[in-house]
Amino acid sequence: MQTVANIAVLVAIYALIGSGYVLIYRVSRVLNLAQGELMMLVAYLLFSLATLFGGHPASALAGAVLLSLLVGLVLYVVLMRRMTGELVIAAVLVTIALGILLRGLMVLVWTGQMARPLEKLGWQNSPLALGHGVALSSVAVTTIFVAIAIYVGLFVFFRYTAWGVRMRAVGENPLLAAQRGIKLHVAYAMAWALATFSGGCAGMLLALDSGLDGTMAIIGLKAFPVVLVGGLDSLRGAIVGALIVASAEVLAIQLIDPLVSDVVPFVVLIAMLAVRPWGLFGTEEDIQRV
Amino acid sequence: MSARGALLRLEQLEVVYQKVVTAIQGVSLEVAEGQIVALLGSNGAGKTTTLRAITGFLGVDDARVTDGRVWFEGRSIENQPPQLVAHQGIAIVPERQKVFETLTVTENLEATVPGAGTTRAEQRRRVERVFEHFPRLHAARRRLAGYLSGGERQMLAIGAALLCTPRLLLVDELSQGLAPRIVENLLERLVELRKELGLTVLLVEQSAHVALQVADHGYILENGRVVLDGTPQRLREHKDVQEFYLGQAGGGERRSYRDVKQYRRSRRWYG
Amino acid sequence: MAYASGYFKTDYAMELRLIETRWQKVSAAVLVLALGVFPLISPQVAIGIANQVFIAIVGAAALMLLTGYAGQISLGHAGLLAAGALTTGVLFKELGATFWVTLPASAVVGGLLGLVFGLPSLRLKGLYLAITTLALHFVVAFVGGEYETRRGFSTGILISPPAIGGFALQEQQHWYYVLLAIAVAAMLFCINLLRTRTGRALMAIRDHDIVAESLGIPVRRYKLLIFVVSSTMTSVAGCLLAYYRGFVSIEAFSLYLTIDYVAMVIIGGLGSMLGAVLGALFVITFPYVIEGLLRVLPIPAGIANEMFAINYAAFGLVMILFLVFEPLGLVGIWRRVRNYFLLWPYRQTAVGGGGG
Ligand SMILES: Nc1ncnc2c1ncn2[C@@H]1O[C@H](COP(=O)(O)OP(=O)(O)OP(=O)(O)O)[C@@H](O)[C@H]1O
Ligand SMILES: [Mg+2]
Repeated sequence: MQTVANIAVLVAIYALIGSGYVLIYRVSRVLNLAQGELMMLVAYLLFSLATLFGGHPASALAGAVLLSLLVGLVLYVVLMRRMTGELVIAAVLVTIALGILLRGLMVLVWTGQMARPLEKLGWQNSPLALGHGVALSSVAVTTIFVAIAIYVGLFVFFRYTAWGVRMRAVGENPLLAAQRGIKLHVAYAMAWALATFSGGCAGMLLALDSGLDGTMAIIGLKAFPVVLVGGLDSLRGAIVGALIVASAEVLAIQLIDPLVSDVVPFVVLIAMLAVRPWGLFGTEEDIQRV
Repeated sequence: MSARGALLRLEQLEVVYQKVVTAIQGVSLEVAEGQIVALLGSNGAGKTTTLRAITGFLGVDDARVTDGRVWFEGRSIENQPPQLVAHQGIAIVPERQKVFETLTVTENLEATVPGAGTTRAEQRRRVERVFEHFPRLHAARRRLAGYLSGGERQMLAIGAALLCTPRLLLVDELSQGLAPRIVENLLERLVELRKELGLTVLLVEQSAHVALQVADHGYILENGRVVLDGTPQRLREHKDVQEFYLGQAGGGERRSYRDVKQYRRSRRWYG
Repeated sequence: MAYASGYFKTDYAMELRLIETRWQKVSAAVLVLALGVFPLISPQVAIGIANQVFIAIVGAAALMLLTGYAGQISLGHAGLLAAGALTTGVLFKELGATFWVTLPASAVVGGLLGLVFGLPSLRLKGLYLAITTLALHFVVAFVGGEYETRRGFSTGILISPPAIGGFALQEQQHWYYVLLAIAVAAMLFCINLLRTRTGRALMAIRDHDIVAESLGIPVRRYKLLIFVVSSTMTSVAGCLLAYYRGFVSIEAFSLYLTIDYVAMVIIGGLGSMLGAVLGALFVITFPYVIEGLLRVLPIPAGIANEMFAINYAAFGLVMILFLVFEPLGLVGIWRRVRNYFLLWPYRQTAVGGGGG
């Protein structure tokens, strides 16, 4: 039972990070390989805000959430906007370079030391007993709820709001969308903002649960097979992919060796790419010529 | 046609694809407010290119207006991004990929951005109007547009374009995939809309018969150049048009494709 | 009779000539001279940097063949370098093998891995291919890491310097000439390969694989071939790296090494062998230049301690700037400058076609 609970937490984390990849890819066909660094950045921002507003944890959290949206927006406007219409691979390389830049800057600003935003907020991460001998930390339980809330929110947004529908339209056919009067840059900027928001939530929760240091970006990269298994342009796929990868990982740790946990997601990924490159739920696109 | 009344005017337009393929060259034409203008020409003449030059290209298309101007309501709009052109009141029914295939029919209509100041209720009413015009769409409103037939897609594309509250509607191959009765129906509707909303239409057509029925003016494009223009009356009476677009050979029998090619070549040199 | 106002190629032999004009002959001679004299007059540090550049040139040229000419994006480059280095390390440690065994062995392992890395390219393009090679990189890194921990080498494997005919390579200066020769050989090999039918086929595949196929080019065979060739070269570079450092540890072959090499081909300029050289030079010397700058500039000591972070940030920034503002890379800049002087007093304007 405890295994199931552990898997559930990991699924929630992976699904949150994965939704960031999917949002951007779905709307702009850019694979954002700086996702790990972005979630780390948001987590560090939370840490700084928590230090600033020590007494008001709620306002620190709200501020971090707002900042995460802002970071995505600014990134798009300053940097990625220039890459629209360029080769897809060039845009991807820009995100890689962005990741390097951010990583360097973050070490400069926050040093590489372990930071614990939870303590700064003045909260405790007490374990919750869930019955049947299962226990999870309270942050872990929150993570599951946050993931569910964000996914429900995203589904509603894409299904029922005008801009949600428009973002899907832009993702499918940008030219036609533009001809129908949809502002492409608004759609792309919103995708970036939402992606940093959901990835940032994962970063903040991870940092609250187990602290924050330079290794967080690696978790972002590990979540990346999740979206490929599920299909790069499908939110539903991200959940299923998270389920598959997280189960494989937790089981591999328990049954084989903790050391393999790093490579398991990539093995699952290779298997998927060999069989069905566009993922379980992805649309079978012309897998772009370079 | 006076220059003053022209809503859209192309001046010596030249479009180059991929920096090497010159698709149209020196195309000039005028569309006056409230007119229906037909743009005719055989395959590869550059009709689609002309329309796309008006609505603007995206970076990925790797196409540019390299020379000439596009005037719309007295402003020059060449090489502007498509969304800005759309906001100025130009809507297009493209030749291919005219609907969002992963969106349902209703979503396709709702994704369009209406003119400024349109309320949500107003927009919903107008979506209903589109369904009234095209009952087939209403029946299919929850289906993904990717599963529609060619003709249904055409209806959806026209409906969506009208929802952008255009002042100028560009239609690339209206009759494509539609039953002849529907085409007639649509043309009548276009004429009605013109009366009702003051809509102006630039119509690209393969079938000269159809287009010349409703048009106020026609242009004939060959090899990326305008070779002939005039009222439908004049065009219908022109010998070449009769022969090559209306399918009536001068001597009573049809000529072979070889002769058509010969004709084109001479057109290119002398036209 | 009118005289040509420049250098024009009038027959096929001229097309194939490596050194074309007298000016080029002179500059080549000067370059050879400079490279030959360099270690005699430079400090040890500079020679060390040059040696690293030479190894990087081999690796970058391999990636340039694959990405710049054949258009196959690979993010598994560090994995292949690691394979070469590890093969060397393992053979040395387990069997005490000499340089003459480990070098060919690395090449063979690299070639075989190239086959593995290349197989996905038969089905996948662009982004998906990049991702697959990235995943393969992690697998190689994992296998290497496992081996190291299982055998108790988790701190790395020490390798003694290679002996060539009883003469051990230890001095930086000796390394310099050996590595220079190898780098030049690698460049000549690549340039020659590109002048042949194979090279033209690769470029056709890069520009449009479907058209290439319909022109009768066996696309799959060439794709695999170039993966094998490139991986072999990369693996050899890994082997050299192992010997040069005298030390192998899988830690050193992280994803960042891949990014370094990708940066080399991009900053240098895709689709140009000169670009590979310039890129390798740029990326290898970059941290040293930054360090030098920081030492010269009046910068608070606290920040100066975070050298590696500054390097990182600056490197990311430079890469972004190149990608956004100069996609043709250093070669693009070089060509622009050269054309400016060639055409002076006329200006070059951007009419039609891409960069020359
Ligand atoms: N994307 C493109 N890249 C290169 N050349 C193009 C491109 N699109 C069109 N062309 C060329 O431009 C010319 C004009 O094409 P266009 O599509 O405008 O013709 P058309 O008149 O619409 O033909 P049809 O009646 O068949 O639709 C053609 O010769 C075509 O080959
Ligand atoms: Mg057309």
